[in-house]
Amino acid sequence: MEQLLPQTKNTLIMENKSSNIKHITSGLATQSLQDKSLTNPVAGVNPIKLLPWLHVVKIGGASIMDRGHSAILPLVEEIRRILPEHRLLILTGAGIRARHLLSVGLDLGLPVGSLAPLVASEAGQNGQILAELLAKDFVSYIDKPTISSQLGIHLAHARAVVGSGYPPYHNHEFPDSRIPTHRADTGAFLLADALGAASLTIVEDVDGIYTTDPKGPEAESAKFIPEIGYEELAKQKGTLPIDKVVLELMENAHNLKRLQVINGLVPGRLTAALRGEHVGTIIHTAAGK
Amino acid sequence: MENVTMSLEELLKQKSLTDETLLQAAERAESYRILPDVSVIKIGGQSFIDRGRAAVYPLIDEIVAARKDHKMMIGTGAGTRARHLYSIASGLNLPAGFLSQLGSSVAGQNASMLAKLLAKHGISYVEDAGMSSVPLFLEQVNAVVFSGMPPYGLWMRPAKDSLIPPYRTDAGCFLVAEQYGCKAMIYVKDENGLYTANPKTDKNATFIPKISVDEMKEKGLHDSILEFPVLDLIKKARNVREVQIVNGLIPGNLTRALAGEHVGTIITAD
Repeated sequence: MEQLLPQTKNTLIMENKSSNIKHITSGLATQSLQDKSLTNPVAGVNPIKLLPWLHVVKIGGASIMDRGHSAILPLVEEIRRILPEHRLLILTGAGIRARHLLSVGLDLGLPVGSLAPLVASEAGQNGQILAELLAKDFVSYIDKPTISSQLGIHLAHARAVVGSGYPPYHNHEFPDSRIPTHRADTGAFLLADALGAASLTIVEDVDGIYTTDPKGPEAESAKFIPEIGYEELAKQKGTLPIDKVVLELMENAHNLKRLQVINGLVPGRLTAALRGEHVGTIIHTAAGK
Repeated sequence: MENVTMSLEELLKQKSLTDETLLQAAERAESYRILPDVSVIKIGGQSFIDRGRAAVYPLIDEIVAARKDHKMMIGTGAGTRARHLYSIASGLNLPAGFLSQLGSSVAGQNASMLAKLLAKHGISYVEDAGMSSVPLFLEQVNAVVFSGMPPYGLWMRPAKDSLIPPYRTDAGCFLVAEQYGCKAMIYVKDENGLYTANPKTDKNATFIPKISVDEMKEKGLHDSILEFPVLDLIKKARNVREVQIVNGLIPGNLTRALAGEHVGTIITAD
């Protein structure tokens, strides 16, 4: 075994005589990345917060955007008023057009990896609509590569940018279901956690999470949950206003300690949430423990 | 229950995408296989391409000969340069999503190199956006090269206790095979397949010709030959319900595997 060289030293190309593999020496050079006991040099650490001043806001597709001007314009006004206070990454979900795509696509027999990018483009359309309404405030719609590597320059010059909430799982969507599972809440969560964002707010058309669907048949027994841990929420049966994959991912959260689900139809809620106030349901992740 | 008679179309209009009735109705939708005559092969980075000419040239000859009878999508692993990047970047505490972007570039370099050697046979490298042209390449020359890393980038699902991206090129290639409804998924490595222990370090390791995902987990072998999340993907897959790992250093193995022969270790979903 060659010794594990300090990572900052010059590295050498070296032939491993026993196997003729051209290695570069590194802490991981000759080891199986599959074996957890061997990846210990890089295990058990939390990533740095790349953009600690960033606030991520996810705007629902069906819950907000599909309602049209009556829901969108007041929310846009609210966003405009709070721009001076924050630097925002606004991500949009997909709504009823995505449902139509799923309906046609499933009828054609298409696999989930074909449906995922189609549905994602619906979320992008919603983002473009929102960005145009904020264009005079220097807000642009930006694509995935720009989100990945150029948020810094954009947010140095504008207070907010808008993107599609869907993560780029596309052809590589998991075969867990015929319906794509990595949707806009999931994308927003993964980004906020990876970037080390200050907060994640999910804007829906309900006050937060209830013990049962407040719009379902048992609405009368629905009780509002102001605060809950991801493990407890995962045990709750029935539908939720957020993607269930998010609860799975919260187990592995590194930076993001909590997110808040709020009602974007009530004026002032988004402003309050971004100021750190508790105005919806707060869900705690494993990173907060 | 009102939902029993609701069509999928109606459910999609009215119900949450987390609704159980909707999800069950979606499960019953017909499935269409996009490229059912194509096999996906993954050429290992560390285990194969990093060996250079000695390993790669004979395999190129075998691929060129085999494509007369078999259609194949050739995905690449990353290998030692990715490990070096992961080592540096995780030492800096950069997030898994960022490491994923870096690893992706290395798998792309390997794909680019393989494609140069295959160029005179008309076989091209397609990048992310070019995947839509894959059917044409397969129709014309029976083969195409792609980078094995999934496109998740910054949106990579992180592991709990490590910054190493858990879904790398084994997962990326498998998901391509699954998504396109391909005939087979073949991993070309430098070992005959799965052993009871690491054959590079343990003399008592015995070869396992065939095993299920559950058996692998029971025997504690889930961290051994493929990225472990791939096992869960295999279990959930609808089209590709088994994969084969073959030793590409032995001439003829890949061709035989493409013909459906059992020459390495087969890992099955059930």
